[in-house]
Amino acid sequence: MHRLMRHLRLLVLTEDLPRASLVLAETESFQPDPRPLYESEFPELPGRHYRDLYQQARSRLDKIGKLVPIPEGVDIPEIHVVETAELQALNDWLGEIWNECSSYEEEFRTLNDEVRLINEQESALANFANLNVNLSTLRTKTRFLDFYVGIVPRDHLRQLEGAVGLAEHLLFPYLVSGDQAHVVIVGPCGVKEAQLTAVLDAAGFQNLPIPPGMANEPAKLQAELTARRSEIQETRETLKATLATWSSGFRGRLEQAQRTLALAEPFVDLDPSIRSLGPLAFIIGWAPAQTVRAIEARLHERLAHPFLLETRAPLAEERAHVPTLVSRHRLLAPFVSLVGQYGVPRYGEIDPTVLFAVTFILMFGMMFGDVGQGAVIALAAWLGRHRLKQFALFGVLAGLSSMIFGLLFGSIFGYEQVITPLWIAPLSDPIYMLRIALGWGVVFIVVACLLTIYNRAVMGHYLGAIFEHHGLVNLLFYLALIGGGLQVYQSGRFGWIATSLVLLSLLALAGYRWHELSAPLGEKILVVVIETMETFIVYLSNTLSFLRVAAFGLNHVALSIAIFTLADMMGTLGHWVTVVLGNLFILVLEGGIVMIQVMRLEYYEGFSRYFYGDGHTFAPLRLRAPAP
Amino acid sequence: MSAHANQAYLNTRVSILATRLFSPAVAGGLAGSTLEEISQGFGLPAILDQGLSARAKNRAIEQALITTLLAELCILIRPMQPAERALVLNWGRKYALFNLKSLIRGKLYNLDPREIQDNLYHLPPQVELPVQELLRTENVLELLRQLEQGPYRFIAHQAREVYEQKREPFALEATIDQLYYQSLARQVRQFHDGEQRPLQVVVGALLDQIDLMWLLRFRFAYGLSPSETFYQLVPSLRLLRRDLLLQLANLDSLERVLESLPEPLNGLLAGSTSLIEVQKRIGRYTAREAHQVLRHSSSAVARTLSYLILREMDLFLLFALTQGKILGLPADVVAIAVELADPNCPMVGRLERTVA
Repeated sequence: MHRLMRHLRLLVLTEDLPRASLVLAETESFQPDPRPLYESEFPELPGRHYRDLYQQARSRLDKIGKLVPIPEGVDIPEIHVVETAELQALNDWLGEIWNECSSYEEEFRTLNDEVRLINEQESALANFANLNVNLSTLRTKTRFLDFYVGIVPRDHLRQLEGAVGLAEHLLFPYLVSGDQAHVVIVGPCGVKEAQLTAVLDAAGFQNLPIPPGMANEPAKLQAELTARRSEIQETRETLKATLATWSSGFRGRLEQAQRTLALAEPFVDLDPSIRSLGPLAFIIGWAPAQTVRAIEARLHERLAHPFLLETRAPLAEERAHVPTLVSRHRLLAPFVSLVGQYGVPRYGEIDPTVLFAVTFILMFGMMFGDVGQGAVIALAAWLGRHRLKQFALFGVLAGLSSMIFGLLFGSIFGYEQVITPLWIAPLSDPIYMLRIALGWGVVFIVVACLLTIYNRAVMGHYLGAIFEHHGLVNLLFYLALIGGGLQVYQSGRFGWIATSLVLLSLLALAGYRWHELSAPLGEKILVVVIETMETFIVYLSNTLSFLRVAAFGLNHVALSIAIFTLADMMGTLGHWVTVVLGNLFILVLEGGIVMIQVMRLEYYEGFSRYFYGDGHTFAPLRLRAPAP
Repeated sequence: MSAHANQAYLNTRVSILATRLFSPAVAGGLAGSTLEEISQGFGLPAILDQGLSARAKNRAIEQALITTLLAELCILIRPMQPAERALVLNWGRKYALFNLKSLIRGKLYNLDPREIQDNLYHLPPQVELPVQELLRTENVLELLRQLEQGPYRFIAHQAREVYEQKREPFALEATIDQLYYQSLARQVRQFHDGEQRPLQVVVGALLDQIDLMWLLRFRFAYGLSPSETFYQLVPSLRLLRRDLLLQLANLDSLERVLESLPEPLNGLLAGSTSLIEVQKRIGRYTAREAHQVLRHSSSAVARTLSYLILREMDLFLLFALTQGKILGLPADVVAIAVELADPNCPMVGRLERTVA
């Protein structure tokens, strides 16, 4: 069941806001309400400057943390209010530290670029040989000719070629690798050189100097490049050591900064729910009803100045904004995730998790009843519990349910003769099994309709609870249809009471739809007739849909028979191999299909009827102090 | 939906939206409308908000019009195939690049983050930059490095390299624009068959317009050399292809450039004496080509892009009209400014004399 929530408005002196936010975070029972209520009376947003400071400081600390290791979790031995001045000072200090850090970062990048350049030079070495010119002439300018050897982004090559041509130079690409192209640019010395330099800068041209000895001593050059690479590595290590030494002097202060920011965070998180007018400010939010007294007591204890805490029940029109706090039992954890895939219960709406868990496990067991295979599922889930985490429990429960139904059906690893069924062997009376499934479907749909009616009534949507899809009139129609159907089965006649109820309820539904619909007459008639017919068809098909619960139970037995038939055709070894592989096949394939089918029944036949699922989970303000 | 169904759906959607484009009569009517009528007709309540300054009003109206345009873009990209969606989204990303330039300028001049933020457009998440993260960066280089981790990485990476070399805002912004239009042209080349031709027409017209304006501006207003000018241009898919741009960049006067243009640009721009005049006339060329594609092409993506280009022109026209009216300019001056009246009317002479 959901817990009742209260809307809180805490009026405090503006100077008390940071302390009030800390107190609220300590209680872990208050979720800020970001709606702009009382905007006209309290036009100011007092937390904005604080938030900006916090965000900049947090961003700087995170960036510093990438270069200087800061412990992830720090404990907060003493809780104190972080005033704006303290936050400002911290932000300024972090700015200075980051300024220094970024120069280290830049140096690391420069070293990376140098390594990249060496790589490029190495890959270019062989290709220089393909240039049919004397390389030593390319190293320096001559009186008349100007040379540039370097790399440019490959995408710019063609455009650069044209631009270089306009500056009366020629461009030769001699190696293209990855997204870079190695080029030689040659042209006359003179006035156009300046133009060319501007173009090369715009093109991101990187000069690749031709080292001396390139033409006649390539091995020596290779050794030089390798040595340079080692030097860079040494420089990198030295830089790391320098950084470590430099940062050791303030690492403790960085940890303290981590704490300060954790203490400042609640006020920032509250930002959208705080407004003020001069010295008076308020915070609005939601809290579980049973925690309000504790919140008030804590505020009395910790706030220096007077305050006023106003509480009220949620209004009908703001129900969509109220967060939902649902009690969660550990056993239900895996089912909570599956329900969460569909949505979070709206405030006041019945949380379907328990119903989902019970019906899911029941239907899975009935569709996949086998003591042996159930035990394998349960055991596998238990053994894989560390990897499956909360879903291990889901596997264990599904396996146990399968085992219980296996006992009821007398099936173990597909053998139907080993144990006596406590209830019935499915294939001994398939019609009976189908009747049971049909009955289960009727109960399921009736419960779903009752939940729909309740949920709509709680939301104050009374007309919808009575007349809309899956409402009271729909339920009456469905029960009359089922009653009539039973009478047809027993006596061959639908009966006048059932007929009257079916017709009256359909008329009521059609009348309501007619009243609600605003469309031209022809369209109105068409829509009302089709939707009324659809009501009949949908309920009939939804009920028949539950026949699969029995059908898969029967299918399970039939598959086992098929496997044993195959096994009996083999020798002893072949027999057992077939039985083992057949059981594995059933476990994986049929187990998976049954899982999907049960999920479909839950989501489509159940949730789509009664579950709004558009709520949002209660997320209280907390003091973020991750455990060390 | 199948690809064919998607095309049919998208074409229908574009045709329906195209009924919103201004006919000459509607555009003419707008010039004579009051601010109240424009406010009601286009859902622009900021026009009538007496509490706002003229600047704030203009900003709010511009934002509302961009929101309208990009909301339509987001509707149109839903049924598209990935390559089509990427192209149309990329076209819309120019607004994100406006924001990027504002961010860069803000960082260059050390402006307060809140002040920078006030100058950014609110954009849909499909094209938006990670604004909050970028605002928290300490300088331009860090900003560009931050941006290298997302859909703008290509532009950000190359822009950073150029900025690292030149440390000059003009080069940085020119590179961003150049890379943006290069990416549009590259995406169009990836299409085949019936899609590529109409896309070449519409994106080619856009590139023709951009290239001519940049060429004239860089050569004759900023005095860049032919080689620098050519390097900044993006060869068009239509008229102003690479070889022609090489020739044009080497010419030494506006008149000679205009004379050397191929038809229909030559005829359209003949006699233009200023950049403003060229800009107006070539804008008509782009609009005409986009209209052609919208009316006669069967390519849904090309029609979508054409519609968006025309819609953008209409919304800018509306913006210019409201701006003129908010500033209290005479109706005939506003009409000339937004090309609803003949610029050769006596009013132009009067204005020129006043300026002189």
